Formats: sequence, structure tokens, C-alpha cells
Amino acid sequence: MSIKDLLRTAFLGLLHAKTRSLLTILGIVIGIASVILLMSIGKSAEKLILDQVQGVGSNLVFIFPGATKGSRLSSPPSVQGIITKTLVEGDIKELRKEPSIVRISPQVMGQARLVYGNNDLNASYAGVSADYFLIRGFTLASGRGFAESEVLSSSRVAVIGAELAKTLFGEESPINKSVRIKNSSFRVIGVLGPEGIGPFGVDQDNIAIIPITVAQSQLLGVEHYDVILLQANSEYQTDFVRSRITSVLRHTHHVSDPSKDDFTIRAQEELLSLLSSITSILTIFLTSIACISLVVGGIGIMNIMLVSVIERTREIGLRKALGATNRDILKQFLLESVILTFVGGVVGIAIGSLLVVLVYLILANFSASGWAFALPLSAVGIAALVSAGVGVVFGIYPASEASKKSPMEALRYE
Amino acid sequence: MIAVRDLSKDYSGEEAVVHALRDVTFTIERGEFVSIMGPSGSGKSTLLHLLSFLDRPTSGTYLFNGKNVAELSDEDLARMRNKAVGFVFQAFNLLSRSSVYENVEIPLLYSGLPFGERRAYVEAAVVSVGLGSKIRTEAGRLSGGEKQRVAIARALVNNPDILFADEPTGNLDSASGLQVMKILESLNKEGRTVILVTHEVNTAKFAKRMLKIRDGRLESDEKIAIHINELKERLK
Repeated sequence: MSIKDLLRTAFLGLLHAKTRSLLTILGIVIGIASVILLMSIGKSAEKLILDQVQGVGSNLVFIFPGATKGSRLSSPPSVQGIITKTLVEGDIKELRKEPSIVRISPQVMGQARLVYGNNDLNASYAGVSADYFLIRGFTLASGRGFAESEVLSSSRVAVIGAELAKTLFGEESPINKSVRIKNSSFRVIGVLGPEGIGPFGVDQDNIAIIPITVAQSQLLGVEHYDVILLQANSEYQTDFVRSRITSVLRHTHHVSDPSKDDFTIRAQEELLSLLSSITSILTIFLTSIACISLVVGGIGIMNIMLVSVIERTREIGLRKALGATNRDILKQFLLESVILTFVGGVVGIAIGSLLVVLVYLILANFSASGWAFALPLSAVGIAALVSAGVGVVFGIYPASEASKKSPMEALRYE
Repeated sequence: MIAVRDLSKDYSGEEAVVHALRDVTFTIERGEFVSIMGPSGSGKSTLLHLLSFLDRPTSGTYLFNGKNVAELSDEDLARMRNKAVGFVFQAFNLLSRSSVYENVEIPLLYSGLPFGERRAYVEAAVVSVGLGSKIRTEAGRLSGGEKQRVAIARALVNNPDILFADEPTGNLDSASGLQVMKILESLNKEGRTVILVTHEVNTAKFAKRMLKIRDGRLESDEKIAIHINELKERLK
């Protein structure tokens, strides 16, 4: 029997039980639509998270004070609130000599009351060097960042976040105004554009950035750094840069035994791959849940096809009497279930895609988090393959039952 | 054309083995019109199933055109059912939601005839049973007599050697039944072998030879000396 005839026969068989065919398809439609929707939400979430990490800058490497026990991925002690004073000015001087490092900035963090006129609020401040603005890729809404000379001369200048500027200065221009941080007054020389939440959960829109020299000596009274940020030369592999930093720091810290390292290096790239593997797992998890509904839909198909085979026993007998081989019957019934799941798949893909667009429109309009539209082709492809596969898997048993019927018994069946 | 020797068929029933057919022996030549007569349960339907390749005998030999049917595979039997024989059933066995055309086309689907060549065969067969005007009608909407004529068209479409008719008038009123029998009769006159299973004497008399079956055994095998229609014509 030719493919065309098989298709026509199978289609006619399904058309003669329209309502039942449509209801059966519904299970597959729901399954496939949810697979599409969940895969795409997973992808969008992944994009959102990775974009935020990449928004911090590119080729970033963080050096934290103190050693980290366990794997590369466990958190360094400084993140857990333990103060370690091992990173100091000498380290920066040596690291600057490394050709694999393009820019470097130490950083200290603190909290303080900021006052301008009658307005005041508690905010974070970061003491950094001039390179910091370039490393983080900050764009300034107005004014300028500070220069290395201002860092070296301990100038009391500040660059403030967009929200902070609005809270303290309202509609006024903050540039060249004087703001008090703790008990010192700083001249505002720049305002950041909107940056959102940065690394370590710091709100970049509510921060004051000041020269590290001032932060260390006048506000905090410390000599160590909380973290060193550096931007690696993109021509070098992350692992190479990491090994260079390690050997420089071991030298300056006089460490010869690797197990006694008193610093922790974290590369942005590693964070990215970690996050993307987490989000992939999330996507797979969501998709597997959707697949359960697909399996349920498949069992529905099997159930309906078994009923159909019993109901059409006489038809099967007749076809066999008229010359259909077992294989012809098998193909016909298998094709019927594949058509059901294929049509269900196509409709499911269409409905799923519509839902994806709907979710995008809702999230993009009502939340400013930067939700990205993602309808991965792989999801569509997987959905199409899976739906046809479900047809074969759940159709083979009813079809083989149909093909095994003896023509004579089948003709006698009432 | 058909030669059976010691043909037997047993069914394993719920309590004991049922000997549906026991040691039946006869031959049928090309062009014959044979009726197989017997009360219900006599084994005549079993015999028809065996002769028409729907079932295999428990023992005995069946030679069809000199070929031993026992040596044929299931696929070969399907091909024989498709090409060598045509069926007319008591219950018509049409796909009621499909059109007359689609019903008659079924044997051609399985014979592998290309789509383009089928149309002419289907139309010729439908016209030959006088239903040319209803070729696109859904089979379920036809009268009983029309349904049986569609079934005959379907049986003829592959131009088979033998036509098997299993109680073809059983579900019909006498006028439609007569019409169907006349079609079978004229097909036989054109040279086609017709084997008819019935328990009605009047229907059986259309044939030229009668095999009587009782309790699974061949009771008698006799020529119907003067064919009933010939008798009618002589009386005119």
C-alpha cells in the first residue's frame, strides 16, 4: 500500500470519529504547549540571569582575601563575614606588572549616613581606584569619574548612583555640590546611569563611589582590601590568568605550600558557566514536568486507539478479507495515532508559542527586570519529535493488536 | 480449479473440541456455479472460510489452481484473497461512513494499483451493478439491495477468478434478493466461478450444482439437472 493511500485511509478513519479524535489530540496539545512554554521560560530566565552577570563587566576576576576550603565553588570566608586582612597595597603593585591583566582596582565597602541639606539616608559606599569605572563598564549620566591622581592625592570626591542622586538632590544637579559621608564632606563629580543590582547584591543605584585611599584612611581606618577586581586580557585563557595571579600572590604573601593560600580567586567566566548549568538544570526540570503531561496524553492516545481497534474489529476483518496484510493493518493504525499526535504537536507548538509571546508581553510591560523573549528552535524541534515519538510509542501496541486479529473471527464479531 | 481432499477443521471450544468439518473431498472446475447448502451449524461457513483463504484447515489438502494452499504464507494468503477471490457477505460489510467509491476502491488499495489507474476500474465495477449515479453517496445511506450491489462491485473490482457469496440474500427482501442473485447468475454466465453458501433452497437453486453439508460432512453432491431459470424460459 502506498504512503499516500495509507495516509488517506488513516485520515478517513480519524475523520469518521471527529469528536473523539479532537478530544484525544487535546491531551497532546496541552503536553506540547507546556513543553514549549516551560522550555522558553527557562531560556528567558537563563538569559536574564546571565545578562545580569555579564552586565558587571567582561573578563572579570575577583580576588577575595582568605583561603576557601572545599571546591572552587564554595564561598570565600570574606563573603561569610569573616574579616581577613591579607590583601594589601603591595599585592596591587605586583599584579599591575602582569601582562595578562588589563585593569585592576582594589575595593573596600562600607555603610554610612549621607547628608545633603535637609536630605539624608543610609547608603553603601565603595572605595575604589580610577580603573574601577572602566572595569565595571559604568556609564555616567553626568559629570566624570575620578582620576588616578585624585586617588593618589586622597581627594574627597564622589560619584553617586542615580537613585541616590534623586533622593539627596531631587531635581537639582548634584555636580560640584557637597555631600557629607560620615563626617567628611565630598564633592560630587559624577552621577552614574541606572545600573541595577551589582555583584555581592549591592544596589549600584544607591551607592557612593569614592577614592579607595580616602575610604581606607578617613572612613574605615583600615589598610587591607575587601576584594580586588581585575579585568583580564581577553587574549589569555582564564586558567592562565588564574595561575599568574596565584603565583604573584604566593610570592608577595610568601606562601610556598599551596594548601596555605590566603586568598581566593573567582573568575566571572566560571560564575557564568556555573549559573548557566544551574539554569539548564532548571529548564530540564521544568521540561520534565511538562513531559509528564505528554506521557499522560500518550496513554490517552493508546487507550482511545485500543477502543477504536475493538470497535472497528469488523472493519479490520473486512480489510484483511479484501487483501490487507497484517503489516497493512499495523501501518494504518500506527499512522492514525501518529497523525493524532502530530496534529496535536503542531497545534501545541502554535498554542505554546502564543503563550510564550503572552508571557513576554506581560513580564516585559509589568516588570522592569529586563525579561527577554526566547522561543528556542530546539524547543520547537524537540516538541515536534517528541509528539511524533509519542504517537509511535503509544500507537504500536493498539496497532499490533489490530494486526493480529484473524479475519474470520473479526468478520464474525458483532 | 479447486480440489480438496479429506479437509477437516477442528475448533477448540470451551468444553470439547468441535469438529466443524470432517474429511470433505470434492473438486470444482472453472466456470462452475456451486451452492453449498446446509442448516446452520452444519459447517458450510467453515468450508467457505477455508476455500476463500480466510482460514487454514486442521488437516487435509486444498489445491487451488494446482497450488497447495498449506504451503502459502499469511502474506501469500492475503494476496490470494486480494487478487484471486471476491467476497460478498450476508451483512454487506461496507464502511458505512465512506462513499460507494471508497468502498469499492479498498481491494485496489491493497493490490498496489497506482492511484491514477484505479478510477477506471472502480467506475466500471460500480456501473456494472447499476449504481453509477450513486458513486459518491455514503454507503450507510443506501438501501439493503444497493448495499449488496456495492459489495458485489467491490468483489469484482480486482477481476477475481472466483466469487464467494456467503448468504448474500440473507439480509434482503425477496425482490432485492432476486436482483442480487440475477447479478451473480449473469456473472457466472460470463464465465466466472461462483460459490454460494446458503440455507435457502430457492437461492441455492440458482446454482448448477449443489453440495449439501450436514454435521461437518459432505452429505451429497448433485448437479441441478435443469437450471431454474432455464426452466422458466422453457415454460414461456
